[in-house]
Amino acid sequence: MKKIWFCLLLGVFLVVSSCAFAQVKSPDTYIYLGIGEPDTLDPHYAYDTASGETIGMVYDNLIAYKGESVTEFIPRLSLEVPSLENGLIKDDGKTYIFPLREGVKFHNGSDLTPEDVEYTFERGILMDPYAGPMWMIIEALFDYQTIEDMVEDKLQVAWSDMVDEDGNLKSEEYASQLIDFYHQYIDPAIEVEGQNVVFHLVRPFAPFLSILAQNSSWSAIMDKETCVSLGLWNGEPDGWWKYHTLKKEESPIYEKAIGTGPFELVEWDRAQQRLTFNRNDNYWGEKPKIAKAVIWGIDEWSTRRAMLEAGDADQIYTPLQYLEQVKGLPGVKIEEGARITITALHFNWTVEKGSQYLGSGQLDGEGTPPDFFSDVHVRRAFSYAFDYDTFIEQVLQGYGFRVPSVIPKGLLGFNEALPMYEFDLEKAKEELQKAWGGEVWEKGFKLTLLYNTGNEARQTACEMLKEYIESLSPKFKIEVQGVQWPTYLDAYRSGQLPAFIIGWLADYPDPHNFIFTYFHSNGVYGTTQGQAFLDFARENLDSLVEKAIAETDDEARQKIYEEIQTIAYENALGMTLYQPIEVYPMRDWVKGWMFNPMRPGEVNWEGVYKEE
Amino acid sequence: MIFYIIRRFLFLPLTLLGISLLVFLMIGLLSPYQRLATFIDSPERLKGADIDKLVEFYGLNDPLIVQYGRWLKNIFQGNLGWSYVGKEPVYDALMRRFPYTLELALFSIFPILFLGINLGVISSVNHNRPLDHGLRIFAVVGWSFPDFVFGLFILMIFYSVLGWFPPGNLSLWAEEVVKSSAFHSFTGMTTIDALFNGRLDIFWDAFLHLLGPVLTLTYVQFAFILRITRSSMLEVLQKDYVRTARAKGLDERVVINKHARRNALIPVATVSGQTIIGLLAGAVIVETIFNRTGIGSFMSLAAQQLDYASIMGGTLFFGLILVLGNLIVDISYAFIDPRVRLE
Repeated sequence: MKKIWFCLLLGVFLVVSSCAFAQVKSPDTYIYLGIGEPDTLDPHYAYDTASGETIGMVYDNLIAYKGESVTEFIPRLSLEVPSLENGLIKDDGKTYIFPLREGVKFHNGSDLTPEDVEYTFERGILMDPYAGPMWMIIEALFDYQTIEDMVEDKLQVAWSDMVDEDGNLKSEEYASQLIDFYHQYIDPAIEVEGQNVVFHLVRPFAPFLSILAQNSSWSAIMDKETCVSLGLWNGEPDGWWKYHTLKKEESPIYEKAIGTGPFELVEWDRAQQRLTFNRNDNYWGEKPKIAKAVIWGIDEWSTRRAMLEAGDADQIYTPLQYLEQVKGLPGVKIEEGARITITALHFNWTVEKGSQYLGSGQLDGEGTPPDFFSDVHVRRAFSYAFDYDTFIEQVLQGYGFRVPSVIPKGLLGFNEALPMYEFDLEKAKEELQKAWGGEVWEKGFKLTLLYNTGNEARQTACEMLKEYIESLSPKFKIEVQGVQWPTYLDAYRSGQLPAFIIGWLADYPDPHNFIFTYFHSNGVYGTTQGQAFLDFARENLDSLVEKAIAETDDEARQKIYEEIQTIAYENALGMTLYQPIEVYPMRDWVKGWMFNPMRPGEVNWEGVYKEE
Repeated sequence: MIFYIIRRFLFLPLTLLGISLLVFLMIGLLSPYQRLATFIDSPERLKGADIDKLVEFYGLNDPLIVQYGRWLKNIFQGNLGWSYVGKEPVYDALMRRFPYTLELALFSIFPILFLGINLGVISSVNHNRPLDHGLRIFAVVGWSFPDFVFGLFILMIFYSVLGWFPPGNLSLWAEEVVKSSAFHSFTGMTTIDALFNGRLDIFWDAFLHLLGPVLTLTYVQFAFILRITRSSMLEVLQKDYVRTARAKGLDERVVINKHARRNALIPVATVSGQTIIGLLAGAVIVETIFNRTGIGSFMSLAAQQLDYASIMGGTLFFGLILVLGNLIVDISYAFIDPRVRLE
């Protein structure tokens, strides 16, 4: 009976599929199914790939990446890409000049002017929201991380002492100081000279052009007139502090996007998580080949897969664990690409008091002391006790590769020949016998490794590490515990995790973005590796990281980055697990698809089209 | 009865206040960093986030009573707050999604009740005969089928293979029409609005999109009604008045339909009310699989991300539905069963 049903189903399937796949569905519309939806459409607030993708379609930047390259640029709203050769980079890399394209119009019909560019960057810098991307521009131009830090340093008054929660001054005397601050530092940094826009940096900053390139939402060019009329910063020095930082929903352009770009945003349907775009038929440059673009967040994998199978979607987001389910589907092809990102395990050298993940909190066989990982032998032992190749082969199904330290392949500073820890339980054992003057080996230890549930690769990594460490001695105990993201965030932030696995996706393709993040004492992950690490970083790493970024010669930079990575190896600062390769299943009829590692999202909307 | 209704309505605000306080306290048990997950919803979002400033900025480390007071004050001004999950005000988010849930409930409840009651009666009349066993097995299979399995099964057969019932709310072309100014929205439920606008093509499109979820919900839910009807019928069929009816020579159909079934329906009314209320609160799994943007999938997302404004708003909304739904069930008793008096 079962067999009859099966044959019947198969028969129906074959008949239906043979006629359904005969032609391209809706040839002028490209439908991509992802998960979720943009966080916000305010370019100075957006810091997730979904927002970045939308903003990149609607807005133009000054320059763009050329094809699949992340080091070569082509002009976009600027007529030329500044370089030392064409004289548009001056003062040893401290001045950048962008001659602006003329005759470009925003979607609402107003003209692009150099003043728009100046306004755009100033508004972003002054607004600088608490969880936003503007630190990149601020770091590049002023060498600070936030506008509040900069104000506090220049005026020697804490921001919270000057401005209250609603953006009002606590005392009128600060008004003139803050206005002066604007005139003295912000205004001169970005200037208009005729049709040129000129940026002045306080020191050379090698990745500056990458930070401005297309799809960096923080550098998307907005229209001053429109922005002011919608209620963004009015462009006046007096009162700029009222426009500093916003709650997500308070931004007047939270759901609006008016740029000069190749697509116009038609609708953001937030109930259905769906964005619809039309081609901008007045676009100044080469117009997209498709007339309509749809980005649709469908969180359920089976639904996405079914729609791809039926041809109602042209391309779908596919986590690696589902790859097998789309391989071999008729009419579907699979492309691959490696983003500039790594996933690494890092240690907390000084776990905060009250951590429940250290057992007894002492080296008595039932726990670990808070500064357990400040001993280099412990870190080395852990680094030896992980089978990196098997992990990549089995868990990632081969879709990934190893890199020596935190600099991904494809960036300056990457060098395959640098030393890496190989899986070697003998050496792990030797190191643990040396750790803590032999005490660890003698007494044993116990700790808990956390991962956030839903991330199977990280879970397996923790479990593999546990197996290998525990195999060295019956006195070693590691518990692996999965927790919901909020709990993980809490434990991570309060410094209670003994070690954490976390990834970093390049904001801009430069080693500084990774080296600073993980190894500088002010880096996002640097600050969460405990006090002992901070002391170590200040002594051994900070000055090198700073020297590398101010260096303009690539060869000299390469040397410094290799030096930093060698220090990282010798001191076993972290275990870089892998750099992943992503898969992009799409219909056979998709043509012109191309991958650039810096593109947020998975579609090159300007170039794709559909054809049998 | 009027007094009964008025009294229930007077209790409504108190009930809602109690619910809100309870839910708020539960959320409040979490640490400020945990609750920051609303704003930093994945490890990737740790980039550039000044966590301590964010906690301060969103007032997450204020005393719980202050936070509750702030929320309550907004409620009295008619402001349910901002939904970070829905990316719009909570009220708009709920109002935009509820019609889809309501529509699905309306289209599902009739087949559920029709099949459940009728098959239940047939089953009981054929007590312990093959037909009874067959129906019971059919029902038990549906009842024990997890909806995500059966939903995927339906999606596979009727969409992937046959191409009949696509997921989503509407086709893209129909969506364009519905959102154009020429199309007037009266109820928010596309099928009904389409009829008002005289657009049979849109009605048909919306109807096709509804069939997958309706089929799934019907199969996994009708079994409950069937079993209640069946057992209730079996009990009633033993009653003296049924025997009397038979004894006085009434036609078997009249005995079953008029004397037995009517009396057997009283417990069925109770569970039907619960089923309807359950449907109105949204069917998380079915909505997710068929990508219907109802209230269930929204609330589950809000709960996962600890978006407290959405959770609180949704809870109030559910509370309202529950209280009103139960009130309607109570009132309907009085009509079904004359012995019931509402005091």
